[in-house]
Parts: sequence; C-alpha cells; structure tokens
Amino acid sequence: MSFAIQTDVKEQTPTPAEGLEEKVAVRHLNFYYGEYRALADNNVNLYKNKVTAFIGPSGCGKSTLLRILNRIYDLYPNQRADGEVLLDGENILRPSQDVNLLRAKVGMVFQKPTPFPMTIYENIAFGVRLYEKPSKADLDARVEDALRRGAIWDEVKDKLDASGLSLSGGQQQRLCIARTVAIRPEVILLDEPCSALDPISTAKIEELIDVLKRDYTIAIVTHNMQQAARTSDYTAFMYLGELVEFDNTTQMFTNPRMERTQDYITGRFG
Amino acid sequence: METHEHIVRSYEEELSSLNNKIAKMGGLAEQVLGQSIDALEGRDPDLAAATIQQDEAIDELENEIEEQAIVMIARRQPLAYDLRQIMAALRISTDLERIGDLGKNIAKRALAVVGEQQPKQLMLGLKHMGELALGQLKEVLDAYIERDADRALKVWYTDEDIDAMYNSLFRELLTYMMEDPRNIGLCTHLLFGAKNIERIGDHATNIAETVYFLVHGRAITDHRPKSDTTSSTPVPLRTAG
Repeated sequence: MSFAIQTDVKEQTPTPAEGLEEKVAVRHLNFYYGEYRALADNNVNLYKNKVTAFIGPSGCGKSTLLRILNRIYDLYPNQRADGEVLLDGENILRPSQDVNLLRAKVGMVFQKPTPFPMTIYENIAFGVRLYEKPSKADLDARVEDALRRGAIWDEVKDKLDASGLSLSGGQQQRLCIARTVAIRPEVILLDEPCSALDPISTAKIEELIDVLKRDYTIAIVTHNMQQAARTSDYTAFMYLGELVEFDNTTQMFTNPRMERTQDYITGRFG
Repeated sequence: METHEHIVRSYEEELSSLNNKIAKMGGLAEQVLGQSIDALEGRDPDLAAATIQQDEAIDELENEIEEQAIVMIARRQPLAYDLRQIMAALRISTDLERIGDLGKNIAKRALAVVGEQQPKQLMLGLKHMGELALGQLKEVLDAYIERDADRALKVWYTDEDIDAMYNSLFRELLTYMMEDPRNIGLCTHLLFGAKNIERIGDHATNIAETVYFLVHGRAITDHRPKSDTTSSTPVPLRTAG
C-alpha cells in the first residue's frame, strides 16, 4: 500500500506565509514545571488577524504554550521558560518585560467562564479602570462597545446592574470575552472556551471569533477537531511537548503531512 | 504504509463496509460491460436481456453507498484520510453507476441488431475497444482496492488508446454508411455502442483521478492528452489527395 504521508520528521521553524505578518513568533521555546520539561524546542507563529488553533491530546503542552504567551505562569513558583516569544519582535520572556502591560496586550479567556462576582457593568469596567481613568460617559461607552464586541449587548443591556453570575454559562463566557476585549488587547488567547457550553452557545462564540479576528490575533486551544477546522486559519498539532505539524487549517484537516497528526485527528491508535 | 486502526471499532467497520460495497459494485460493472460486449458480438438476446437486468443491482448499490456516506459524514464528521475515503466512495459509486448504465445501453443495442448482418471487421474493432475499456476498469478498481496512486495514474494516461480506437472506428463506420445507406441503421447502433465504450473509458479515468486524490490528497496536476477528435470531424470525410 503506498501512502503519501511522512512518518517521522520533526517540524522546523515555520516559514512565514506570504503576505502574513508574524504577530507572535515562538522560537526554540522550552518550558519546565520544576524539573519536568513540558515543552521541547517549540517553533510556531501567530499571524496577525488570523486564528491559530492548537490541538493535541491532553498533556501535550498546548495550554502550557498558551499560558506562556501572556506569562500567566509567572504567578507560580518553579515554572520557567527559555527560548524566545517575540510579540511584534520584542521578546516577552525577557526579565525586564512589564507583565501587566503584556497581559493588557495579550488577553486570555479560560475553559470555565470566570466572571467576577460583581455586576455585569462592573465586570467590564473593572479592567478598564485598572489601566485608564475614563470619564463616566467614556466608561459607559467602553462598556457598551465591549459588550457589543462580545455579542452579548442585546441580552444584557437592560440588566447591566445584575450580577455577572446570574447569566447562563454561554453568556458568562461571552461576558468574559467582552471583558478581555474591553482593555483593547492585540492578541486574544482562548483556552477551550466552549468546552463547557451547549451547541448554540458554542456557535455564538465561534461566530464571535470570526468577527473578532478582524481586529485581533487569536489563538485557540480546543479538543474539538471540528471546531478547530471551522474557526481557525492555521492549526498546530502538538504531541508530548513537541510541535508535530503546523500548517494552514484546510491542509491540516484534509491532507496532513504527518502520520501522527492524521492518527490523532481521525481518532486512530498511533 | 499501513494506516492505523480507529479507536472506535464501528467506524473502522463502516469504512471497510463502504470499501467492500465499492468493490462489489465495481465487480458488477465489469460484468455488465463484459457481457454487453459479448451479447453484441454474439448477437445473443438472452445474454443482452440478463445484462440489462443486472444493472439494477448496480443502481441499488449506488443508493446504499450514498446513504451510508451521508450517515457517516453526519455521525463521524470525518477528517483527513477518512474524509477522502468517504468522498472517494461517493465519487467512484457515481462513476460506476454511469458505467453500468452505459453497459446496459450497449446491451439494448445488442437486442436491436440481433437480426442484422454485421461486418466482421467492425465487430472485431468494437470488441477490442470493449476489452480495452474493461481492462482499464479492472486496473483502476484494483488501484482503488490497493490504494495505489501510481497504478491509477497509468490508467489515466492510457485512456488515450481508447480514444484513438474510437476515432478510427468512427471513421470506419462513417465510410460504411456512405458506401451503402442500408448500413446506416446497424452502423448507428454500433457507433453509439462505440461511443458508450469510449465514455466508460472516461469514467475509468475519473476513478483514476479519484484514487490519486484519495492517496495524495491533491488532484493530478498533469495535462492528459485528449485524442477523441470525432466531435470536430467533418462529414463527408475529407480524404487526402
């Protein structure tokens, strides 16, 4: 049986696709939980105004990689990264990087919706006030704009004083996306944003991703292959801390180059 | 290289059932084509009638394959090689169904010309052309079963031979018709028979393209030599000199 697929070649640094701007460039990135090396020599790009999906089995390092992009891991002792993560050409891993500024530029949305235990209005306004001192009118406008971008304005505009926790799971997740968008980031990281949501809420988030990529660069971690295929422009397949394959999404899901990618996305024993 | 098995065994079973149905359908299409040519050559009305009947089984299989493919797409949401396998089964079943129809049509023409005197030379040409098409069909179906893109590519290139044979048969038939108008009835049937065989060759070529896509995930990029020129052949034939 002849079969056009590679079995054992490690992915090299991706060559930038024509006409695409590298918003984030990960180069030779290693990551350690104490002594354990969770990521080994990762090279991947996030292109500007494109959605990049990270797929791979549990524990392959995709969430770890996402957590490096805004240095959330800094909050934990014994976790360290080496290599380079270039955001617009600047290495964000350098010690002098202001992580608060970084997190304003690189926002993150988590698997479980995490609204603050405050009103819907305050959920949005809180983050804005951390970075700026807008007037009441400006703040109102910012809140409305963010909620509109989060595709949840119509559902909450009459109850901005209600608790964020009173919303449904899907609405809470969109509130969290709105909260992320409110501080005008450049990159949005979505870590399994739909895994706790029903299909309708999932569809709303996916539609939102489609709209948001016009203004932002997006990375999404998902266990749902179809979701990766639907929402992303580029896909990275990771396995045991290594980047196995990185390609445009259409290619990846119709004709992957690597055997391990094919086995994973089609649900085969590998 | 062998592909690994699915973690979900029933998915694996569904794919192999789809594969088997294509193989079965291909076997039937080969049979219909072979018998229809035998019936035409041997002026055998019984064989012709039986062949016409057999085409029904091909149509039924096509429906089954289509139904199963749709259910699999809905249920499994296939990706990569699996997606290509299901798309290939859908496409190949359509080609095989057409081949069955064309074979049936040849058998019908066999019934129509049972009483006629047939020039031996013409019948030999037609039979040879039929054998060539049958060989192509067998070869491309084997290429499908073996997932052998190179073998499929060979079939793709050799369709030219059938086209060339059709060209010469076309000219020969025209000559017979011009010689004696009483030949027109028979020759028209034979001409359609030849055209049907030529189109079966085209469907075998389609299947070759599908096999190539199935294996490589991309279309054949080369240009195939097209040599059926009969649609632009003037009548009466222009002869040199």
